[in-house]
Amino acid sequence: MPSIDPEGCAKRLSCELSAAWAIARKDMRMYYLKPNIVVSGILFPLFMFLAFATGKNAPPGTLIPGLISITLLFSASSIEPVSIPIERRVKTFDRLLSAPISLHSLVFGESLSGFLYSLGIACLPLALGVLMFSTPIVNAPVLLIAMILTSFCFATLGTLFAAYPTENVGEVMSMLNTVRLPLIFISGVFIPISSMPQIGQKIAFFSPLTYGNDMIEFAYTGKSLFSPLQDIVLLLVFILIFQIAANRLYKKFNE
Amino acid sequence: MEYMEAIEVSHLIKKFGPLTALNDITFSVGEGETFGFLGPNGAGKTTTIRILTGISSPTSGTATIFGHDIEHDTIAARQSMGIVSENSNVYDDLTAWQNMIFSAQLYHVARKEREKKTNELLTIFGLHERRNDKAHGFSKGMKRRLTLAMGLVNSPRLLFLDEPTSGLDVQSNLIIRDVVTDLVSKGVTVFLTTHNIEEANLMCDRVAIINKGNIAAIDAPERLKKTIQSVQSIEFSFNNNSADQLDELRRLPLVNDAQKAGDKFKLYTQDPSEVIDAVMVYAHTHDLKVISITTLGPSLEDVFIRLTGLQRVGGTVHAID
Repeated sequence: MPSIDPEGCAKRLSCELSAAWAIARKDMRMYYLKPNIVVSGILFPLFMFLAFATGKNAPPGTLIPGLISITLLFSASSIEPVSIPIERRVKTFDRLLSAPISLHSLVFGESLSGFLYSLGIACLPLALGVLMFSTPIVNAPVLLIAMILTSFCFATLGTLFAAYPTENVGEVMSMLNTVRLPLIFISGVFIPISSMPQIGQKIAFFSPLTYGNDMIEFAYTGKSLFSPLQDIVLLLVFILIFQIAANRLYKKFNE
Repeated sequence: MEYMEAIEVSHLIKKFGPLTALNDITFSVGEGETFGFLGPNGAGKTTTIRILTGISSPTSGTATIFGHDIEHDTIAARQSMGIVSENSNVYDDLTAWQNMIFSAQLYHVARKEREKKTNELLTIFGLHERRNDKAHGFSKGMKRRLTLAMGLVNSPRLLFLDEPTSGLDVQSNLIIRDVVTDLVSKGVTVFLTTHNIEEANLMCDRVAIINKGNIAAIDAPERLKKTIQSVQSIEFSFNNNSADQLDELRRLPLVNDAQKAGDKFKLYTQDPSEVIDAVMVYAHTHDLKVISITTLGPSLEDVFIRLTGLQRVGGTVHAID
């Protein structure tokens, strides 16, 4: 049986994390202010939310959890579907593929930039709720965990879709939107899951947004469909599935 | 210290569905060697490089870099290599400095070393004064120099150079050639792919010619040239050169083909001395003076054309398959 060198493993891990962080920083510098990312990550969820919130008679403050959820969904999954096709086109993506790092670190580093972008953007509706509508936060730690996990989950989803071997941003975005748009209707963001038809309720279980939104609702209202622990475990499972799938797809499509 | 080949490729096969891109190729590159990898477009050069750099996996066969299997020990194998791709793949929205530092981070170069190395390489490549400028404002030559500098930031033992000087200005060309010559003198192994056969002839210890996924020949340039001694030529210039003379020269006895390039004619033959006599007679009868004449052995380009199944027709080269 081969022996494991703990020092070597720790050094390897440190190198991989440092390279992943370098990839994330590079994306932050290059893509955070790109117009299509601003539109897709900030304006799109905002207008989408306004379109649905306008017809509701609920006080604006009660809509904040839903706004946070869809902001996390759209902003986290917007960076990589833009950056990776662009980098394929200008051949800089080959640099990452041929660097002495594992594909896991590449996928993790790419997801990290979407994750941090999304956390930053989601602070806007959060601040809006606190400062303008005095929306109370019942459980701040749960809100923080919910935002972190939901954001990372959708950042990984964006990285997964960006694995599709195209140099065209529009192609990846179109595919991603066929998943993102239905998610906001089946995950209890606008319509509570308990009010949905049976089939809708069953489909909701397969949406990671269901669990992210459920935790955010819990953080604001103290009420939720699942326990926060269940939400955490299920979000972690989705993250793991997306990471593994992304890793496999990048390997497959680079052949 | 035990000698180790820089690259060892053994029975490498790569298939894309029904297409065989690499058909059982085997070769090795010694440490410190400058190895040219030549072939027409679609011959399998890029596929080979993608496998050697661990981006793509072979269908079967193995490739090792300094003893590390590229498929199973990918990270260790990549750590010792620098890759300079044909496309100057720098990040346009980052400055030259940021590009270098990012590359160093990907190759796990320690913080102090990365800044020192970045300063040193940007100076060598004449980019230090522009280090804080974004690369999108750089000329093609500057981007190429930056690409090469990024490929050297981890002090690689093996450098993959893809078309290093293609379409560059004289200054960039000279800087890059000087740097590569210096690297070779320091024992760095260079794996060079180029369409510039004269460049390969001048720079490489050995070249491999790949065609349709097979290695057609592999040897030192001079030894390869000796294999086709039948393709010799004479090059000459008259005091009054005209394109109309080309057809008449092509019809001279023992001339296999004729080309006109600039103010010179080049006649291909198996018997240069007989053709020189014929050219002198031609000059005399047309009241021309021969102002220069040279006999030439086969060039590496001739070897390449012969082995890849291409054919000279007039001044151009055509596929004959």
